[in-house]
Amino acid sequence: MALNEGRGHLRASHADREQAIEVLKAAFAQEQLDKAEFETRAGQALASRTYAELAAVTADIPARLTAGQPRRTPGRLREQRIQREMSQAELAEALGVSRQTVTLIETGRYLPSLPLAFAIARFFDLTVNKMFAPAEQEAGTPPEATKQADACTVAAWHVHPTA
Amino acid sequence: MMTFIPPRLRKPAVYALAGVLFAAAWLVRGGPLWWVSIMAVTGTAAGTVRLYRLGGTDTDEGARAGSRADERQQLIGLRSRALACNLAAVASFIGLTAAIAVRGTWGWPFLVTFLITGYGYLLGLGNYGVAEEGTPDDADTGRPARSPVSS
Repeated sequence: MALNEGRGHLRASHADREQAIEVLKAAFAQEQLDKAEFETRAGQALASRTYAELAAVTADIPARLTAGQPRRTPGRLREQRIQREMSQAELAEALGVSRQTVTLIETGRYLPSLPLAFAIARFFDLTVNKMFAPAEQEAGTPPEATKQADACTVAAWHVHPTA
Repeated sequence: MMTFIPPRLRKPAVYALAGVLFAAAWLVRGGPLWWVSIMAVTGTAAGTVRLYRLGGTDTDEGARAGSRADERQQLIGLRSRALACNLAAVASFIGLTAAIAVRGTWGWPFLVTFLITGYGYLLGLGNYGVAEEGTPDDADTGRPARSPVSS
């Protein structure tokens, strides 16, 4: 997992374990792993404590399977947080929300309100679009369209500042 | 007044106040059942302590009990109350219908509950909804207004 390079000693979250299991499922579906191997590795993934342990579980699986998984996260909040070596609790405190909310935003199970999205983007010195646009959308979006999307988001913020 | 109370104490305080009022009602009522007030006070004290301890836990319920809920946790509370109100409305309707069918005289509490939930819903629409139709975007630009469904 490219995301985990250089920070193998850091503790993995439940979302990371789920992501690894998704990779294993994809490998199983493509018959790269048999059922017994899949079950063993899924168990190892669930028991993994660090990114290094987690990476070892999927180390021999082709990169296209690990990189090509559909993102469950709406943006790169987790990447940004880990880059700054912050825990979820620290980020939650800085943003004035609960740790659970940070977890759910990172795993794509909760979409933050516009004020919170702006607060998160401002905290990481990014635009809301950069922070929350899905990776595939961002890759296929020309810079001009990205700027327009940002402008629309800012305009919406000015119209409904307390929305 | 609530702002003077530390957040973690707010909900336990309201709970304790409600429990004391309930106990006082049994005491004022008098009669052979006066001892219910003692049980109510005991139960209220235990519940208040439990609520205070819950307010210190790192969970959604804890955040709500400790009055430090963020936007998502407030939304959970809002949905829970909406669900409770829906259930009350459905249950009261069923109770009222049953009372009518068997010609029971015990149907009026169901009627009152049903009317309160219905009126509360209409009150919510009146308070939080916008009565005006609003201005279409095209009216501001001078372009002719066009239906979004027509091509």
